[in-house]
Amino acid sequence: MPSDLSRLLNALGLVAVDTLLALAFIDQLWFRDLPCPVCILQRAGFIAAGFGIALNLVLGPRPSHYGVTILGAVAGGVIALRQMLVYVVPGSGSYGNEVFGMHLYSWAFIGFVAIVVGAAIMLFYDRQFGRGEPLSERLDAFTLTALVTFAVLVVGNIFSTLFLCGFGFCPAAPAGYLL
Amino acid sequence: MMSLPFVLFACGLGAAWLRQREVALGFWTVGLVVLLALFRAHYGDALNIAL
Repeated sequence: MPSDLSRLLNALGLVAVDTLLALAFIDQLWFRDLPCPVCILQRAGFIAAGFGIALNLVLGPRPSHYGVTILGAVAGGVIALRQMLVYVVPGSGSYGNEVFGMHLYSWAFIGFVAIVVGAAIMLFYDRQFGRGEPLSERLDAFTLTALVTFAVLVVGNIFSTLFLCGFGFCPAAPAGYLL
Repeated sequence: MMSLPFVLFACGLGAAWLRQREVALGFWTVGLVVLLALFRAHYGDALNIAL
């Protein structure tokens, strides 16, 4: 796989992660659907997975960076699966709004599985793991936009979580912002 | 406390931007451990199943 194609696919992957994180913010701010503590941890899982993609874009593709992505997605997927199982018994309730018939934690689990599969497929293409290129040659406008958006969303989650939970643990079902 | 993983991941991104790969991976590793520890702390949240 040419390094240009690898870069493009990684940038598209990071845009997908950016989109998921942005949709979570839209649901929180526009629809006033406050995230539960486990929901916040799923956002952190997406960032942990996206971190590996960002490393690929900034430092060049390496198998270990895909490992970072897979481990982050597995951690997030376990958290999402746990939340699905909490509500799997009929009549046991649910948390938050539905989107296209499924709750956000169900969509999150699908997203994490897709990330693992995508990273595993990318690992098949050995030719992308060539010599590293200088930073200036690697960061086109699209890649830079994906990276900056990712960084903004990470910082946004810091402040969002601080406002929602304060400096301690979150309440299990937050009713409002603590700060 | 709950924002700590995000802070660590943000620090890792900063380190990656400065081409400090090992430092970035270190921040990511600590962030993942903190994430799992927080998950353990909130493991039973909203477990409102009446048996």
